[in-house]
Parts: sequence; C-alpha cells; structure tokens
Amino acid sequence: MMKYAMVFNSQKCIGCQSCSIACRSENKVPEGLYRLQVKIQGPKGVFPNLAFDYERFSCQMCENTPCVSVCPTHASFMDENGIVDIDANKCVGCLYCISACPYHARFLNPQTKVPDKCNFCKDTHLKLHGEPACVSVCPTDALVFGDLDNMNDPIYEILSKKNFTRKKEHLGTKPKLFTIPNKKGEIKL
Amino acid sequence: MNEIWGNESVNAIVWHWPIALYLFLAGLSSGAMMTALSVEWMNPKRKAPWDAFVKAGVLIAPITIIVGLIVLIFDLTKPLNFYQLLIHYNLKSVMSLGVLLLLFYTPLCAIYAILRFRLTLSKSFLWPVMNLFGGVLDFLEKNSLWFGRLVFALAGGVGVYTGFLLSAIQTYPLYNSPILPILFLASGLSSGIAACICFGILLFSEEVSKEKTKYLLTMDLRVIPIESLLLFALFVGLYFQGGDKALVVLSALSEGSWAMIFWVCVVGFSVVIPSVIALTALKNHAYKVNFILLNSISIMLGVFALRMYILYAGQLYLGA
Repeated sequence: MMKYAMVFNSQKCIGCQSCSIACRSENKVPEGLYRLQVKIQGPKGVFPNLAFDYERFSCQMCENTPCVSVCPTHASFMDENGIVDIDANKCVGCLYCISACPYHARFLNPQTKVPDKCNFCKDTHLKLHGEPACVSVCPTDALVFGDLDNMNDPIYEILSKKNFTRKKEHLGTKPKLFTIPNKKGEIKL
Repeated sequence: MNEIWGNESVNAIVWHWPIALYLFLAGLSSGAMMTALSVEWMNPKRKAPWDAFVKAGVLIAPITIIVGLIVLIFDLTKPLNFYQLLIHYNLKSVMSLGVLLLLFYTPLCAIYAILRFRLTLSKSFLWPVMNLFGGVLDFLEKNSLWFGRLVFALAGGVGVYTGFLLSAIQTYPLYNSPILPILFLASGLSSGIAACICFGILLFSEEVSKEKTKYLLTMDLRVIPIESLLLFALFVGLYFQGGDKALVVLSALSEGSWAMIFWVCVVGFSVVIPSVIALTALKNHAYKVNFILLNSISIMLGVFALRMYILYAGQLYLGA
C-alpha cells in the first residue's frame, strides 16, 4: 500500500509545457481538453527584477474527495495507492463529479463518454516506468513524484524541509499535490 | 490570444437545461401530490367523488415525475448504463439517496393515482387488471389515510432532495447554500398548487368547488411571501459570507442575461404578477376562471425560470 503524491516546485518550473505535451501523448487526451495545464502569469516586479508565476492545474489527488463522495455508483473512487480514479464500467455519466470538483480538474471525454482527469498515468507511464509521464520529461526536476507513506522516499524529505502550499485548503480536501511557491513577490493593491 | 497552456473556458457549463427541466418536474410532482393530499384530507368523508384538485394532483404527480426521470436518463452521457444507479448505492451521495427516494415515491404515487381513478379504470379496457389487483387496492383504500401520509412524506423528501443535490456542490457558491433545499421545496409546492388549480379547472370542471379553489389560491398566496423571503435570505446570506461569495451575489443579480432573467422571469412571473392578480382581479378570492388560470400559469413559468436561473447562474457566476 502506498500513498502517491506529487510536488510541483514553482521555483524550478520554467513554463516549457513539456509536461503538458507528455501528458497528452501518453494518455491520448482529446483535442482541446486537458488533464494537465501549467499556466504562466506575469511578468511581475519592476525591471530588471522580473519573475513569472507558474501554476499547475490538474487533479489534486485529495485525501477527502468531493468527487468520490458525490458519485452515486462508486464509479469515482480512490484506489489502494491513494490515486483518485474512475471506473468507466460503473459510470453513468451524470457529471456530478465534474461539477463537485472544486479544482475544475475533470472534463467529459467525448470519446469514452466518461469523465476524465489526471490519474498519475496509472494505466500508462506509471505502470510501465514507475512514474508519471510529466515527471519523467520535466527538464528542471520541478516535479517530484513519490510515496508519502515511505519515510525514505525523496518526496518525504522535500516536504519536511520546504515550505509548501495546497490549493483551497479551507475546503478540507487535503490535496496530495503540493506546490512549493515562488519566492519572488510583488506589491499589488 | 491562444494561450500556450490551452483554452481556459473548457466545460464552463456542466449541467444544461434538461437538468433544470427535471428539477422543475420533480418539484412540481412533489408539490402537486402534497396539494392533492391536503385537499383530500380537508374532506372528512374522504370518499368518491373526488374533488377536481385531488384528481388533478394525483394525475400530475406520477406523470411529471416519470417524464422528469426519462429526461434525466437521456441526459446522462451513458443512458444505457443507468441501471448502475439501481445496483450500486453510495449513501454519502445525495444523488444515490434521491434514487432510493424515487424508487419508492414514483410507484407509490402512481398507485395512489390508480386508487383515485379506480372507477374510471374499472370501466375501461383495463378492467381485468383492475379486478386482478382488486384485493390489494381494497386494502390500500381501507388504509388510504396512512398510505397518503407515507406518500406525502416521500413527496416532501423529493421536494427537498433536489435542493440538496445542488447544495452539496462546493464549487458553485450559488448552489452551496443551506437555503436552497427549503427554497426548492417552497417553490415546488407553489408550482404544485398552481398546477392543481390549472389542470383541475381545465380537466375536471364539473367537480370544481369554489370553496376549495379559494383555499388553494389563499395557500399559494401564503407560499409566495415565504418563497420571496427565502430568495432574499439566499442572496443576503451569501453576501454576508463576503469574499468571492459576495461578488457572486452582486454579479448574479446585476450582470448579464441571467440577472435579467432573474428579475423579469423569476421575480416577475412567480412573485409580482401573482401578487398583482391576487390583489386586484381576485380580491377576496373572487372566482374568475380566466384570471385564476393566468395566475397559475404565471407561477409555473416563474418556478421553471427559478430552476433555470439557479442552474445556469450557479455555474456561470463564480466570483473570482
């Protein structure tokens, strides 16, 4: 039993989008839809001290999952490794999970007629190579994938030494996607 | 500009108008059933011939809920998989609880209608079937007060569950309010009363009694202020939560076509027009058929507009 988690280090990210492309080709994501987006905001600051903000949008792999609790048929579920996944056979396509996800991480796949989202490449790259496609292509090691239940895993060390944030923490969803925030700030009123 | 990380406006609307239609029909069914039963219980004898509004209500209730469920099933992206809803249950999911509720409500409501139209059905080509189940129907008729109470409770459940279905969703501030289930129950009741009056007069004119019409019009006029108060409380409650939620309220009431639909269709049809008609043409609840019909059609349109408004505005106005 494992508890898979991911760290997105926005200090190391350069916004190259190779993770997005790897995700699309690995998981055959239909045109115009996304399991993963890395949005770039900025530049912020005053020249010459300029910086960009990078933000990852994908399934946050919540520990308390709004999408799983609203699903009437248990088609949305968390597997034994802590990955939130969808069982296409049980799904009726009511789309309740798409509207219940506070992170807008789900979309309707027009080919399968079933909601789709990041599942850490569970059926593709993770199965074959032990890590998600986005992690393996990242040129700056801004993405770290690992097991929170294993104290010897590198992810454990990063999370116990670095400051991190999780999105919409007030909802109590306890995401297992951690962001190491940009250190460079900007005064904005 | 084409952003390099992709289009941001994917999936802006998840649930479309068939869901609003279903929410309206479920509310209407629950309201009509509760109205029919209240009218029936007013009469101490509780025997045929049944009042026009009892007949209309017990007829509307099963028809609307069945049509609503058909709409709902065909709106699924995998309609042929709908049986999965009947074999897997997640008791944390409001939708699953709704399936359970409807599993009892829909057939019982249809049986109640059969019970009230027993004479007509026995004379029709269905007489062998009616004779076959004669014993069961006799038993239910004997206990129809308790049977009715059970159906009434289930109808109330259906009325609130549609509200809980939306209020369980944290993503959309306009849905995520404890007022919503009560608002849906009240507006469903309002549309149910209106439908009973409207179809009672249109279909069973010979059994219409002025006294009951007056009673239902008064009842509807009492539900309308409650509904208005609940709408007011919904928006004020969100506004006082501040932050994004306050912004949602301000834009939902002032920006774009959905704000207009709210003021014209929701407030206009379900509050202003019925109040004006009640205070002028139907003063002292005078029996003026055309105005009564106009009044009830306006209320039903307003309640449908409310479902449409909540469904779409909820998904469109997100604050941030």
